[in-house]
Amino acid sequence: MPEFIEQPRYTCALGALQSVVAIKRGVPILHSGPGCGSKIHGFIGQGEGYAGGNTVPCTNAEERDVVFGGEKKLHTLIENSLKVIDGDLYVVMTGCTAAIVGDDIQSVAADFQTEGKPVVWIETGGFKSNNYVSHAQVVNAIIDQYVHKNRTGGGVQKGLVNLFASIPYQDPYWNGNLENLKRILEGLGLRVNVLFGNESGGVEEWKTIPDAQFNIVADAWVGVRIAKHLQIKYGTPYLHFPYIPIGGIETSKFLRAVAEFGGLDKEKTEAYIKAQEEKYYSHIEKLADFMLEFRYGIPNRVYTIADSTYALGFSRFLLNELGIIPGKQFIVDNVSEKNQKKILESFAGISEYKKRDVEVIFDPDAGAAAPQIEAEAKKYPDKRFLILGSGWDKHLANKIKADLLIISPPVTYRLVMNCGYAGYEGGLRAIEDIYDRVLATYR
Amino acid sequence: MALRQVAIYGKGGIGKSTTTQNLTAGLSELGKKIMVVGCDPKADSTRLLLNGLAQKTVLDTLREEGDDIELTDIMKIGFNGIRCVESGGPEPGVGCAGRGIITSITMLENLGAYTDDLDYVFYDVLGDVVCGGFAMPIREGKAKEIYIVASGEMMALYAANNICKGIKKYALKGGVRLGGIICNSRNVDREIELLRAFAKELGSQLIYFVPRNNVVQRAEIRKKTVIDYDPKNSQAGEYRNLARAIEENQMFVIPKPMTQERLEEILVEYGLMDELKDNYQI
Repeated sequence: MPEFIEQPRYTCALGALQSVVAIKRGVPILHSGPGCGSKIHGFIGQGEGYAGGNTVPCTNAEERDVVFGGEKKLHTLIENSLKVIDGDLYVVMTGCTAAIVGDDIQSVAADFQTEGKPVVWIETGGFKSNNYVSHAQVVNAIIDQYVHKNRTGGGVQKGLVNLFASIPYQDPYWNGNLENLKRILEGLGLRVNVLFGNESGGVEEWKTIPDAQFNIVADAWVGVRIAKHLQIKYGTPYLHFPYIPIGGIETSKFLRAVAEFGGLDKEKTEAYIKAQEEKYYSHIEKLADFMLEFRYGIPNRVYTIADSTYALGFSRFLLNELGIIPGKQFIVDNVSEKNQKKILESFAGISEYKKRDVEVIFDPDAGAAAPQIEAEAKKYPDKRFLILGSGWDKHLANKIKADLLIISPPVTYRLVMNCGYAGYEGGLRAIEDIYDRVLATYR
Repeated sequence: MALRQVAIYGKGGIGKSTTTQNLTAGLSELGKKIMVVGCDPKADSTRLLLNGLAQKTVLDTLREEGDDIELTDIMKIGFNGIRCVESGGPEPGVGCAGRGIITSITMLENLGAYTDDLDYVFYDVLGDVVCGGFAMPIREGKAKEIYIVASGEMMALYAANNICKGIKKYALKGGVRLGGIICNSRNVDREIELLRAFAKELGSQLIYFVPRNNVVQRAEIRKKTVIDYDPKNSQAGEYRNLARAIEENQMFVIPKPMTQERLEEILVEYGLMDELKDNYQI
C-alpha cells in the first residue's frame, strides 16, 4: 500500500449505502456523522433515487453519542424512519465513529427484526474496507438477515438466474449495464434477477435469490464474494465471467458461456446470437467510411485508469473490435494479490491472434497514473490516444491531446441516464461515445 | 509558585483514589490550593473529599444540559477548600470513556477551571493507559508530573511498568516526567525492598511507603479521608508525610520501562525466591 492516496476512485465501506439506494424502495439508515452520506453521494451519487441523497436518515452522531454510545438514538431513528419513509427494506449501516465506539447495532436492529420489520444491519465503518468489498457484504447481509427468512419460491427454478455484475453507482453506468445484460440473457430464455435498478423487481425479486438455477458473475472479483456465499448457503452453482462483456465478440462469448453452463439449448442460443450479431455488425459497417477517411487521426492507443472489471472488458473490446492497442493499464480498485494473478492471466489471453504483453499496474492511487501516462505518451509523438478514466483525468487528456471516455467516478463532466456499455448495444454506444469525442475535435 | 499538574496512575483497585484524596487533604493542610479531577467513569475519585457522591459529573451535565454550562455546575468545594471535579463517563459496556475524558478536560479548560491561584491539579486516572483518552492528562500542556501507585503484588508492578511505557512515549516529545512510585502497602514480604529495586530499575524512586492500616477503610466507610476522620491517627501522619514528600520532590525522570524478563527477574529476586525458601522450610 502506498503511504497516501492522491486520487482514490472509490469510496469507503459506507459507500455501499448507494447499493441500498439502488434497490427499489430500499432505504439506507446511517449511524454515522452528518457528513458521511453527503460525501459519498457527492462522489458517486446520481440523483436522489427512492431514498438516497438528502433523504437518507442519519443519526448525525456527535460527541455525546461517542462518549455515551449512540444505540438509543439509533433505535429512535429506525423507529421513526419506519414511520416516515415508506420502504420495503431498511438497511442500518454504521460509519467510523459508531464502529470504533463499538455500538451494538445488531441488538438494536434485532428489536425490529423480531417484530417482523424488514430491517437489516451491517457494520460499514469506513475504515473497514472500500465500497467494492462492502457492496458484497451488504448483499450478503440482506440475503442472510432478510431474504433467507422471506424466501418465496418452492426451491430451485429452472431458468432463473441471479446476475451479479455492475456495482450500483460505483459503476456510473450500472443501470444501463444491468438493463443491457438482462435483455440479452432473457434472449437466451432465462429469467434474470438483476436486483438493482429499473429492471429489477425490487424486494420481491430478492426473495427468489435462493431459488436460482445458477448465478452469473460478470465482474472481476466483487460478485464472486456473493456467489460463493450463495453456493455455500444454498448450493447454487455460479459462472464467473471475469469482466464486463462489451461489443459483439465478447458478448457472444459471454452468452455462449452462460448457455453452456446452464445447459441451454444450443441451437436456440446460436440463433439468438446470430440475430444479435447481424444487427450489431450492420451498424459497425457504417463505421468503415469514417475510420478510413478521417484525416485528423483516430486514437490507436488506449491508457486505462479504471477498475479491473472495466479495464479487462474495454481492452478486449477496443483491441479486437476497434484495433486500439492497450497501453499501460492502471487498475485502481485495490485488488488483492490472489485476484491480481487472475486478472493478469485474463490480460495475457486478450488477443487470440498474437501474444500481447499488456502492462498492468495495480495501484489504488490513480493520481500516480497521470505522470506515467504522460511520460509514456511522449514515446509515441505521432499517435493519438484514448484515455479511459474519470473526470479527474480531463487535465491529463488535455495535456497529451487524448480523447477521454469517462467510465469511473467521479464522472463530473458527463450526464449519465440510461447509458450502458455492456452487451451488443453497449458496444455500439461505446463506439458512438469514443468517436463522438474524436469528431468533436474536427475543425 | 507555578501550578503543578499531577497525574496519578496505577493498576485498578490499587488505591489511587484513596491515596490521592488523603494526599491532597495533607497538601491542603500545608495551605496549598488544589483541584482534584477524577478521570474515571465510576466517578468516585472525590467521594472522601466531598463526604459523599453528591457530585454531578461533567459528562452527565454535558449530556443533560449541553455545553452551555457554568463551572459551578460541575465543580464542588470539598475538604479544606479542595475543588472537586468528576469527569464521569458512560455506563459500563457502552460508548467511549476515553473520549469522555478528553471531552471533559477540554470543557474544564474552556470554563476557566485552571485559575492562577491553584498550586496543584491532581488527575486521578482509571487503571491503565489503555487508549488515547486515558493519556489525555499527560499530553502536552497538562500534567507534568506522574506518580504511580503500586504495591508488592506482581500484577501491580506489571501495570506500573506498562504505564511507564505510556509515560515514556509522551515524555520524549513533551515535558511529562515520572516523579516516583508510591507504595500503597499490601503487607507483602520484603515489599519495601522490592519497590525500591523496582523504582530504581525504572530510574526513579520510591517516593513514599504508605503502610497498611485499617483506619483507611473505617474512614472510607464514613466517606472521609483519614486526615478528616481521625486527624491524630498515625496513618494521618503517614499521609501528611507523603504530601510533604510530594511537595519537596526534586526527582523527575523519563522512566526506563523494563522488559518483561527483567521485571520477572526482580520479582523472583525479591518475591518468589522467599516463597520457595519458605516452602522448603515447611
